[in-house]
Amino acid sequence: MALDDAKRSSRKRKESQDEYSFSKAHQDAGNLEMMSDEEAGGGVDSDDGQLEEFPEIDVASDSEEEEDESDEQSDGESYDDNEEEEESDDSEIPLFPKSKNVISDITGKLKRIYPEIEPDYDSDSSTEDTTNRVGDVPMHWYDDLPHVGYDINGKQVLRPARGDELDKFLATVEDPSSWTSAFDKNAQADKPLTTEELDIIKRLYAGEVPDATYDPYEPTTEWFTSKQEVMPLSGAPEPKRRWIPSKWEKQKVMKIVRAIRQGRIVPSKTKAAQKLEVYSIWSEPSSSHPPPLPAPKPPLPTNSESYNPPEEYLPTEEEQKAWETLDPEDRERDYLPKKYSSLRLVPAYDRFIKDRFNRQLDLYMAPRIQRVKLNIDPNTLIPKLPSPSSLKPFPIYRSLSLNHAKGRARALSISPDGLWVISGNEGGVVSLWEVNIGREVKKWTFEGKIGAVEWCPRTDVSYFAVAINDTIQMFIPPNVSAPVLSLTQSVLAPTTLPPAPSTPSLVKWVTPPSSAWSVDLPILTIHLPASTEVPTQLIWHRRGDYFATVSSGTAYGGGVWIHQVTRRHSQAPFKKIRGVVQLVLFHPLKPHFFVATQQYVRIYNLSEQKLLKTLLPGIKWISSMDVHPSGDHLIVGGYDRKLCWFDLELSEKPYKVLRYHSRAIRSLHFHPSYPLFASSSDDGSIQVFHSRVYNDLMTDPLIVPLKILRGHEVREGLGVLQVKWCSRQPWLVSGGADGNVSVWCS
Amino acid sequence: MGRLKQRGKAGAAKNYVTRTSAIKKLQCSLADFRRLCILKGIFPREPRSRKRANKGSSAPTSFYYAKDIAYLAHEPVLKKLREHKAFAKKLSRALGRGEWSSAKILEENKPIYRLDHIIKERYPTFIDAVRDMDDALCMVFLFASLPTTTRLLPELMENCSRLAAEWQLYIMRSQSLRKVFLSIKGVYYQAEIMDQTVTWLVPYQFTQNIPADVDVRVMLTFLELYQTLLGFILFKLYTDAGLVYPPPLDAKKDESAAGIGAFSLQDITQPAAQPSRAKAVELDGRKISTKDVRQTIKNIEASYSTHDPDVEMSNPETATREVEEEFIPQASLSNPGVSVSTELPTLQSISSLPQSLSISLFSPYTFFLSREVSRPIFEFMVRSFGGKIGWSTSSGSGSPFEETDETITHVIIDRPLVGREESPSQRELRLRRKYVQPQWIVDCINSGKILLEGPYDQGKTLPPHLSPFGEYEGAYDPAAGPLGPSGVEQESEPEADEVSEADEEDQGDPVQVAVKAATGDSIELRAAELAAEAAGVDYGTFEAKVKKLNRKQMKKPFTDGVEDGEKDMNKMMMSNKQKKLYEKMKYSQKKKEIEVSKTGISLDAVLMSSIAGDTGY
Repeated sequence: MALDDAKRSSRKRKESQDEYSFSKAHQDAGNLEMMSDEEAGGGVDSDDGQLEEFPEIDVASDSEEEEDESDEQSDGESYDDNEEEEESDDSEIPLFPKSKNVISDITGKLKRIYPEIEPDYDSDSSTEDTTNRVGDVPMHWYDDLPHVGYDINGKQVLRPARGDELDKFLATVEDPSSWTSAFDKNAQADKPLTTEELDIIKRLYAGEVPDATYDPYEPTTEWFTSKQEVMPLSGAPEPKRRWIPSKWEKQKVMKIVRAIRQGRIVPSKTKAAQKLEVYSIWSEPSSSHPPPLPAPKPPLPTNSESYNPPEEYLPTEEEQKAWETLDPEDRERDYLPKKYSSLRLVPAYDRFIKDRFNRQLDLYMAPRIQRVKLNIDPNTLIPKLPSPSSLKPFPIYRSLSLNHAKGRARALSISPDGLWVISGNEGGVVSLWEVNIGREVKKWTFEGKIGAVEWCPRTDVSYFAVAINDTIQMFIPPNVSAPVLSLTQSVLAPTTLPPAPSTPSLVKWVTPPSSAWSVDLPILTIHLPASTEVPTQLIWHRRGDYFATVSSGTAYGGGVWIHQVTRRHSQAPFKKIRGVVQLVLFHPLKPHFFVATQQYVRIYNLSEQKLLKTLLPGIKWISSMDVHPSGDHLIVGGYDRKLCWFDLELSEKPYKVLRYHSRAIRSLHFHPSYPLFASSSDDGSIQVFHSRVYNDLMTDPLIVPLKILRGHEVREGLGVLQVKWCSRQPWLVSGGADGNVSVWCS
Repeated sequence: MGRLKQRGKAGAAKNYVTRTSAIKKLQCSLADFRRLCILKGIFPREPRSRKRANKGSSAPTSFYYAKDIAYLAHEPVLKKLREHKAFAKKLSRALGRGEWSSAKILEENKPIYRLDHIIKERYPTFIDAVRDMDDALCMVFLFASLPTTTRLLPELMENCSRLAAEWQLYIMRSQSLRKVFLSIKGVYYQAEIMDQTVTWLVPYQFTQNIPADVDVRVMLTFLELYQTLLGFILFKLYTDAGLVYPPPLDAKKDESAAGIGAFSLQDITQPAAQPSRAKAVELDGRKISTKDVRQTIKNIEASYSTHDPDVEMSNPETATREVEEEFIPQASLSNPGVSVSTELPTLQSISSLPQSLSISLFSPYTFFLSREVSRPIFEFMVRSFGGKIGWSTSSGSGSPFEETDETITHVIIDRPLVGREESPSQRELRLRRKYVQPQWIVDCINSGKILLEGPYDQGKTLPPHLSPFGEYEGAYDPAAGPLGPSGVEQESEPEADEVSEADEEDQGDPVQVAVKAATGDSIELRAAELAAEAAGVDYGTFEAKVKKLNRKQMKKPFTDGVEDGEKDMNKMMMSNKQKKLYEKMKYSQKKKEIEVSKTGISLDAVLMSSIAGDTGY
């Protein structure tokens, strides 16, 4: 068996070292010799038995084989390994192998025989029987063939038997080395890994250097030692440049020297020289620019800032607290006065720097505004007007008042002779009373609301009109002298009625038969078209023939009707009017007609039937209006407390706008003969003005407030609803929401 | 037809620029812009219509004049600031690369801006500069007292304290200090230089700390300007006074806390400084000053007086001239009632007369400062009014005499009286000197004469210290307060009697009626006089009656309700604008009245409490 092994090993050697050319005979002889050799014997031993189990015993040969089959890297290392081993061997054994003394067959003499020189010192370690020699070709070429390649002799290497899955499994269970084997592609079979390979895997796994022999901590070899060599490496003589000064350097230095000489390079200035030196800056003439305005100086300290102020300057505790709670910006003073009994007790002022800083912020961040301080007495701003006492007479006190038990006294009129007053309230009661003594002479009670009452301005007749619901009723007051009564009756109910107008009118004039005439019943009733609301205003023309009524709501022609008593005819002057008509007025002298809508006052010429002018009072809602007896001036009052005075010959904008009432203006009235006018308001007061109008066009009208009359109560937000002047006296009659009608006398 | 006007091409839109656009135009940072504004004295303006100036936007911005900004664009300082920006970049790069040598060279050639042209621009004449000195002095005095930190370098503090000391030296030398006020914030000084009043505030000697909400950069920028300004002003003042600027500083004395004494004033004519000579100048500065008198300008020459007979000859003359100069309408609040001045014609002459004499107010006296009295404050005050002053070594070196000196007339002491034993010599000294509290000095200065020492004796409760600068017109006057109650009552009672008498007389006397009708008009008055003569009333009684009636009428407007009603009615005839103005004026009047009445009320309370206290005892 040993022989077999030996043969096999020799063959292996032969196969592996085919590149060496050695005679077969030599080899054979060597083989024989080697039998007795220690080393060879070892090799044989290693081959012996479990060839595949322990390939590691023969280290060198194995690595050789690996080289062929797979890795060149490992080959190199293993080669190194072998070298080292050889070296270590060399150190023990002599350089030459031991000779043997053998008696020569031929000569019969003793001769020395050396063991055959083996070119490949580990060639004997071949363990493989057959090696596939196809090289590095894709093995799938042999997939369908029974062999997997060829050996060195050109013989087919048969495909090793491969078991099925069960065999594989059994192998993993039974064969303890199966988990250390891997599929060898070349042999197409599983081959166990060598110890080296396992070792490499183990090292890689542990993160070490895969080469076991590599020592990372090898002591360094000093190739270039610190020891200086005695002999120079080069025998060349020292060059000239080592000891001759450089020409270029000299040129460069000379350049600098020349620059210094010419003053192009100066030594750097010292720090002290850079510091600003003061000099006589104001000795040179200044520029022509005007200097900027100097900053305002902070105010000088006052007594309260003293360290020892008089005691009255010290703040009380409340003041102190109030000061502390205030925001620093809102404080009037930035300090609290404090008293110290002596100077040594005065502490540092903690806001000193803050104060300075604030001053600086003021200086560069605050816009400066030059304020002109008016050094005048504010009272000089109040216009100088003649004293009211010099403008007497005007109403000063309330002489009497008549109370309407229920309802507001909304309507009010004074007879043209100035002796009688009729007043109507919302409850439908109209009472006639004397101005002088306030005695009620007659009372009429109606169903419905009284819109307006108005005396006819004619002095030769005596009657008044009352607007109730959608009718206007004419009454003759009692105790009228006989000629006046007959004239009045003939005016209101003439025996021969004027011819009826050609077109039937919507308004009907009805006179009861003369037998039914009485003081309690109207002598003439004018029925406005049905569904008209109660007329809020009734205004007579100066002559007493025409009168106009205004009904609120969107009635025909804006609710404006002009009635003519003599012709017993009514007409609506406007077919359509823009805006809601509030008030109308007849011009006292000209055939002009003022119509006030909510915001505008329009002036129409009735004879020419055209619009003359539109006044713009700038009031949101006009409440009242009156025209001056001269006809050149108009005052308009509004619910927004404004009173506008228009000079009709001038602009369409007001000459003067006054706002003195604290609530809405309700009524305005010019005195027919005295230069007075009055306004009443919801604040319960009546303001009396002196209003002098000059014939001279260049002089502005003079308006002087004279008196505020108070006495009416404010009920449900309503104050004085109506004011009227007595025509002959400077007396005023006012009706208020509290139901009182008062007479104010001078 | 002219060219069509385009929106934003003229008017407010063109004249004003917002801060943002100004910065954009100048191409600098906001901090640089602020610095420029501070240095150049450019401040925002309020356009009449913000909307029109800002293209219709009403966003809150500050506006500058476009011309101001255009003017800034050519500013050399702006150029330097830009250079500095480049320098900072270069330096940081060099430092980042570790090129220390190049960094050092860069640092040495750092761009530094100069402010002298700005000073010249902002203050074309010297008077302008003096007029605007107040803030500069306040800042310099403040920074002279601040501790040094990393932001506030010691050189800065040193320079500030040097400027402050130079200023004080000059004021002392020219004797131009006029008023002093000890307030809770610090000490206000007012000096008169070139006929301009300069007021500055010096904090008390405590360490001040810069609060966190104060931007030190802004303050330092201001300080930079103010230092330069003060340097130039002082140079001018010193050279005009024939002195060397800067006055040499004796380092040794400075180290031993000599304060102002460390500086020595030198004549320009003198040869270069010799330390020993300088010392002599410092100690008896008056001898040298006689030479100065001939050279210096007028207002200084009056001051150098006390020892030289020649100068004393000129003293009265200059004094009278100053009377004329100082005849100013601004009345001093000092109490004239104490002096024998009742015969003098006007209040103004009373207040101006002692002021002119006050320049050498303390010259006959020698003061000694007790150690608890702040030396810099009182040394400055006393010396600027010609007094001699010494102090204990604990408040610094350089005192010209010791405490035991025989010449001392006043000791300024600020501690309570403590009974203790003293040797006969001490007692003798004590009796010979007067011990006064520091307020005495200040009150003397403000009143322009030497006050009685009695109320200011050591340990006594001091009389209140009032502001010498006065209050607004019509304010509550505490000087009249304490005297007031008795005087007013005396006057008011007889007046009431008179009125009732007059009323009684009214009924029967025809003259009375005539007079009553005529008090308004002079012609009518004449007529009434004639009528009175006809009725057999002598002129004296007539005049008395007229006076009475006049007084009555003076009182009338306050009580007349009818007139008020009329006025209220007349108010409705005012235009809207007038009405608003009227309301505003009335409001401010009322506010002042309330304030005055408040102080009056609290005075009443004080008096009441004091009376209660008296009765309690």
